[in-house]
Amino acid sequence: MIYEAAIDERFPVAEPPTQVARLRSGDPAAVAEAVGQYRQRLYRYFVRLVRDQASADDLFQQTWLHVVRQLHRYDSARSFDTWLFAIAHNAAMDLLRRRPAESLEDHEFALPAPAQDALSAVLAGERAAILAAAMAELPALYREALTLRFEEGMKLEEIAEVTGTPLSTVKSRVRRGLEAMKQRLCKEDIL
Amino acid sequence: MSDHESVRGLLALSAAGLLDPDEERVVKEHVSQCGACAADLEAYGWLSAGLSNMPAPQPPVYLVSRTAALVAAEADRRQGAVFAGGAAIFACVFVLLIGQTLATAVGDSAALAWLVWASISSVLGAACALVLASRRRLERSIV
Repeated sequence: MIYEAAIDERFPVAEPPTQVARLRSGDPAAVAEAVGQYRQRLYRYFVRLVRDQASADDLFQQTWLHVVRQLHRYDSARSFDTWLFAIAHNAAMDLLRRRPAESLEDHEFALPAPAQDALSAVLAGERAAILAAAMAELPALYREALTLRFEEGMKLEEIAEVTGTPLSTVKSRVRRGLEAMKQRLCKEDIL
Repeated sequence: MSDHESVRGLLALSAAGLLDPDEERVVKEHVSQCGACAADLEAYGWLSAGLSNMPAPQPPVYLVSRTAALVAAEADRRQGAVFAGGAAIFACVFVLLIGQTLATAVGDSAALAWLVWASISSVLGAACALVLASRRRLERSIV
């Protein structure tokens, strides 16, 4: 009977509810599962963008509250990842706009002198620390483009959807971010 | 802009894998003949690989449980609000139907008495429900 049901369209087999459907129903297990599933990626995104862990914690919680409140607006034909990161992007941008010293996208930004901790990282030869330090010096929107492209592995179109910007702008941010990092690492004789 | 200059502008995007096939072909052809651009492309490749493999910052242990509890409470509150709304609509319809029946069968004074009694008990019931809900929220926030 089970096999018949599996191959015969007259015996519709009930599909297990998707994670989004379970989230919509307010199933606490589904919520905990989703939060756990995205914890590394979302947290990393926030830390790269806002550069401090306390703000990343707040944004992480805020984003998930927003997800639960807005889930009825989610179109399941779209990627959940992209939708989630778009919410995260808006929350992070709101926070960054309130920071007076934060440069979101400075087209003429000057590369700052290497910080002492970056120099010690160079001496220690830790590539990841060097890159993280160089990335942290970039304007927020360049950091975002780089983390979405390289750490999240998103395509151009997905980054454009998350950030709500045209494809050409995303390309420009990735290019300028990489060029600025290369310039900085060349100055430090790392490249 | 010379071919060399225009290709230089594409090198970072080539390393990022963001060029279309035609642009990628142009870059490959140029790089095979230009040592400076080949070196730049290699540097961008090193950067791209490094960025893809940077260790992720670890979220604090409490973050997931705290967020899950917060989100579950919010979902619960929303579900409760929907349930309360439905119950209120049902109660109104029920009270009015009984009132209508009493007005037809017994008379207007009986219907009026029923409406007054039902209104007082509804207001008291709603107040009790609100107090219980806020207590529950408070307990949950303490936990």
